[in-house]
Amino acid sequence: MLTKVVLASCVVLWISSCAVNSAEDLMTRALRLMSETPLIDGHNDLPWQFRKQFNNELNKVDLHTLSTTHTNIPKIKEGRLSAQFWSAYVPCDTQYKDAVRQTLEQIDVVHRMCEKYPETFMFASSSKEIRDAFAMNKVASLIGVEGGHSIDSSLGTLRTMYQLGVRYLTLTHSCNTPWADNWLVDTGSEPSEHNGLSLFGKQLILEMNRLGMLIDLAHVTVTVMNQVLDMSQAPVIFSHSSAYGVCPHKRNVPDEVLKRVVKKKGVVMVNFYNDYVTCSKTANLSDVADHFDYIKKVAGADIIGFGGDYDGVTRLPEGLEDVSKVPNLVVELLRRGWTDEEVKAALGNNLLRVFEGVERVRNEHTQLNSAHVSGYAGSTIRLIPLLYLYDKYEIQVSSG
Amino acid sequence: MNMLSRKTVKSVSSSFWMQSLVALVVFCLCHLVCGYSERDRAHDLMSRYPLIDGHNDLALQLRILHNNRLSQIDLHNVSKVATDISRLQAGHVQAQVFAVYVMCGAQQKDAVRLTLEQIDVVRRMCTEYQDFELVTSAQELKNSEMRHKIACLISVEGGHSIDSSLPTLRMLYQLGVRSMALTHTCNTPWAESSSKLYNVFQRQNNSLTEFGKAVVDEMNRLGMIVDVSHTSWDTALAVLKHSKASVIFSHSSSYSICNHSRNVPDWLLHELKKNRGLIMVNLHSKFISCRDEANISRVADHFDYIKKMIGAESIGIGGDFEGAVGFPKGLEDVSKYPALIQELLQRNWTENELADVLRRNFLRVFEEVERVRDQLSSKRPSEIQIPLEEVQNPCRLVLTPPDVKGLPSDQNSSSSAEHRSPCLLILVTVLLLSILFVTE
Repeated sequence: MLTKVVLASCVVLWISSCAVNSAEDLMTRALRLMSETPLIDGHNDLPWQFRKQFNNELNKVDLHTLSTTHTNIPKIKEGRLSAQFWSAYVPCDTQYKDAVRQTLEQIDVVHRMCEKYPETFMFASSSKEIRDAFAMNKVASLIGVEGGHSIDSSLGTLRTMYQLGVRYLTLTHSCNTPWADNWLVDTGSEPSEHNGLSLFGKQLILEMNRLGMLIDLAHVTVTVMNQVLDMSQAPVIFSHSSAYGVCPHKRNVPDEVLKRVVKKKGVVMVNFYNDYVTCSKTANLSDVADHFDYIKKVAGADIIGFGGDYDGVTRLPEGLEDVSKVPNLVVELLRRGWTDEEVKAALGNNLLRVFEGVERVRNEHTQLNSAHVSGYAGSTIRLIPLLYLYDKYEIQVSSG
Repeated sequence: MNMLSRKTVKSVSSSFWMQSLVALVVFCLCHLVCGYSERDRAHDLMSRYPLIDGHNDLALQLRILHNNRLSQIDLHNVSKVATDISRLQAGHVQAQVFAVYVMCGAQQKDAVRLTLEQIDVVRRMCTEYQDFELVTSAQELKNSEMRHKIACLISVEGGHSIDSSLPTLRMLYQLGVRSMALTHTCNTPWAESSSKLYNVFQRQNNSLTEFGKAVVDEMNRLGMIVDVSHTSWDTALAVLKHSKASVIFSHSSSYSICNHSRNVPDWLLHELKKNRGLIMVNLHSKFISCRDEANISRVADHFDYIKKMIGAESIGIGGDFEGAVGFPKGLEDVSKYPALIQELLQRNWTENELADVLRRNFLRVFEEVERVRDQLSSKRPSEIQIPLEEVQNPCRLVLTPPDVKGLPSDQNSSSSAEHRSPCLLILVTVLLLSILFVTE
């Protein structure tokens, strides 16, 4: 009897030490990977919370102790967040009213947040600056404008927002613009106005390519997704959308589109909102990992990213309640057999590849303009398809 | 004798005519030489001190005539306007403040969007042509002169462009705007215009409201020049008293010479002097002579008068080309500035005084505005918002949360990251133990 008790105790001790060791190993491994590659999240609505809760009065907020949001500085650090596209979002109600001004105010609040906490945030507007911030142990802070209604159908406005540091535009939020259909059209609850993108919408896509502005296809119809994938010269992103094959919600990305994103070398940054994860009001961390696994299976690990949608939604999975919990998701991926390289791709390497691709296209356009001016034909040969597109969509290359 | 005297008389009178003719020719030659040398002097002076002009509305004409399609024109030579690169160069214009103006009718509608589009066209113009260089500081302005470029600066003409929003003001600064006129021809909810053309935001004895003062404060903090051309005299006075930095009239002239409400009365000139500010004389005929026509001499009268009042160190030039119809004879476009300088030289303005008027005064003001910005660098961006009752209109939304985005969920402090492996191990342990004890 005594022998059996001793034997039993040894077994228990050995098994529990294995359990503890493997959990610790995975977390250590996850944190190591997150220290080698930046976690770049595609979409966080903290600026919207600043407006809603504090009227953008940052002087009344202490981001070190703020407890009414998913995001604050201690949680960011615990969650190993290294780069964030902060969303400059204004509701669809502002369309045809003061959307532009309100969007400028949201852009301003992101800049002010970075100025107020310079030890934590570093404003960034390029792939290089993301890497620089990571090297300095700061959170690279970028801006994405969420909804084409923010530019009031004006390319001049788009360009000035680019000048203010905006690096992606989500083509629609949950309302049609005068030139693009939003995802609600796919649900049948709204009629299509443009069968995807209008001519102006297509001209906008080309201008975004020329500028180096990332095109974000979260929130658009499948038709728009396909049209953009047809014509964009640069890779595209889904800043906060998940897999339709796991949860058939119209905000998610269907399989055929996932495969096209691979060809385009784009990225789909998985949204954690329960309704998009499980198509129900509840979810858990494992359900989110299912989306990662599914996209990897259908399209490969090279198009996956993180787009939590923190502070933009009310229902988040058990285990991923706020931005501090994201390393646990990384642990889960490792536990499911993801390799280090695959995890690092999802953490940030895929997004960096996309961003660099977009910047490369911008640089080629600059060359095209100079070639056009100087009459140097050599560099234009490669860019003839571009000229064809300009002609097709009635864009005139700037003289200068 | 008679024949001799007749001959003598004849020869005397012909020699008189000869001498008169010679004298006349010499006089004309002298005059020509002197005039030529004055013109030469003017060009020579302007090539050493090329002009910084305070106000040009080319961006407006680009919109009206070409819908901002720069690709349709060659800015070296543009028809139907008074400004293009060739003529700016001929007129020795080394720096031009290009005005971003949108109609007062857009106030509380799409003024902000239209303003961004005008900023965009100026930026594109100034970056796409090698002759231009967009500058945003006094040092950059000076550098551009050494590089023989025409410096572009951006000013916004009318506070309605910021839609009563300090964040918008800040974003305009970030886009390169370095000067803003507080009003155009319409009151804003917080400042008064000299014009009663639009019947909006009329107030009594409150020409610059508390929010208006907050705008001035934020402009001082940012380092944006406050421009009071187009504002009412009361607003201009309030600004001069409130601003921590020097203030300008970017395109206004003397009320004593021409009593137009756009011009500046003597008492306000004296306030400007106390502020170490700058009045940049507007060349539009209606502000020069109070009539449809004017001439260079009348323009020079404004300069003489203001110099007498507050000194040459307070004067600049803000032509207002493209912003008005009707310019003095001899000053029809931007190539003609040397003719004005020539007139002033002839009125015994010294080269020092003219160097000040042409560029040094503006640079002084710009540098002073930057100095004030540096002194205020520890001040946080202003979070003042205009009271809703002062600005409420159907296009201004007070945002309420829509369905999709709502309040964040309550925070759950429990961290229950699933660990499947330990659960499995515990199960195995229990099984093993039970096997051990069951087989007892």
